[in-house]
Amino acid sequence: MAKAASGRSRRIRHESELDMLPVMNLFCCIIPFLLLSASFLEITVIGMSGTEGVSSGGAGATANLMRSEEDRLQPKIIITEEEMFIGTAAGTVHVSYSFQEQRDTNDDGVYDVQVTNFHWDSLATKVEEAHKILSEAYPQITFRKIVILTVEETRYESIIKAIDIAAVAGFDQPGLQVAPSASVASAMGSPR
Amino acid sequence: MSAPSKRRVPLLLGSGKSKAVSRAGDKKAVLNLTSMIDMFTILVVFLLMSYSAEGALVTVSDALTLPKAHSELGIQMKLEILVNNQVIVVDGDPVVAVDAGILSTGGAIPALVTRLKDHMEYARIVRGTITEEEMKINIQGDQGIPAILLQRVMASCSEAGFMSQNLAVIKVEGTGEEE
Repeated sequence: MAKAASGRSRRIRHESELDMLPVMNLFCCIIPFLLLSASFLEITVIGMSGTEGVSSGGAGATANLMRSEEDRLQPKIIITEEEMFIGTAAGTVHVSYSFQEQRDTNDDGVYDVQVTNFHWDSLATKVEEAHKILSEAYPQITFRKIVILTVEETRYESIIKAIDIAAVAGFDQPGLQVAPSASVASAMGSPR
Repeated sequence: MSAPSKRRVPLLLGSGKSKAVSRAGDKKAVLNLTSMIDMFTILVVFLLMSYSAEGALVTVSDALTLPKAHSELGIQMKLEILVNNQVIVVDGDPVVAVDAGILSTGGAIPALVTRLKDHMEYARIVRGTITEEEMKINIQGDQGIPAILLQRVMASCSEAGFMSQNLAVIKVEGTGEEE
């Protein structure tokens, strides 16, 4: 081997270069495939118990609740145009007053829709309390059923929100009852 | 006689080669792909994490906005009803136009019940029997529809024999504090 005057060997250093072309080819194939198959919105479902329409007299709403002890005790979230309540065997408790909310549905900076909304945090607190009270008072019963009793005009979004909050609290078998405002008031036992 | 200077001739006037090319000679220009590879790697990792092997079982119509909820119950391929403030669609076909008459009273909607019974009957003929799975139905409702419309649709489903009704929602993560 040739040696320099200093005695060190003259090795020529070659910088090793990684061939990135196959990696790029792989990426170019895999990225369009993944982009096409990516689902950014996950659709799930809420399983409903049998719906019970309420006649204009409102009698059907309460008659079916007497089927069993669990049914008798099951709480109701009552949504009217002005107010929201939670009703249990112990009585009915006010949860929240409604308020009007302006919404920009088209994302164009114009608030084009006015919707009725509620303070859902209050409902979450009250539903959790109700579940705790019922579970402690009746430990032999697993409370999973809840009824959303609402007036005809209530938005679907509000119903789903109430169902969702109830599910988080442990009431994961929701039912729906829809009635005219007068019937809901009579079912609550408070004339409006 | 003086020797010609080494001053470079301006590009526009003549040599046809840029300064860089003239200096580089025969060297190959190499593209630096490092940053691109970095970006692609991040993109691939993100897409792999959001990859769903099941694919989309349902197609959400542009004509409605589904409400959001924390439910984790996966959607199954069943008969679908789409409901918005204009129309009720069963399996892709508009069945009932939503008007003041529909919203004025409760109970099942006859035209919808008939259509759903046809579906049930078809399933019975094709499969010979009706299992519990056949009695399930998915309802995609616009978040703005009134409760009475939802109740009428659900009552129609019950009357037609679809005893298990699932409401489709967009899943949201977290504990429900984002409202």
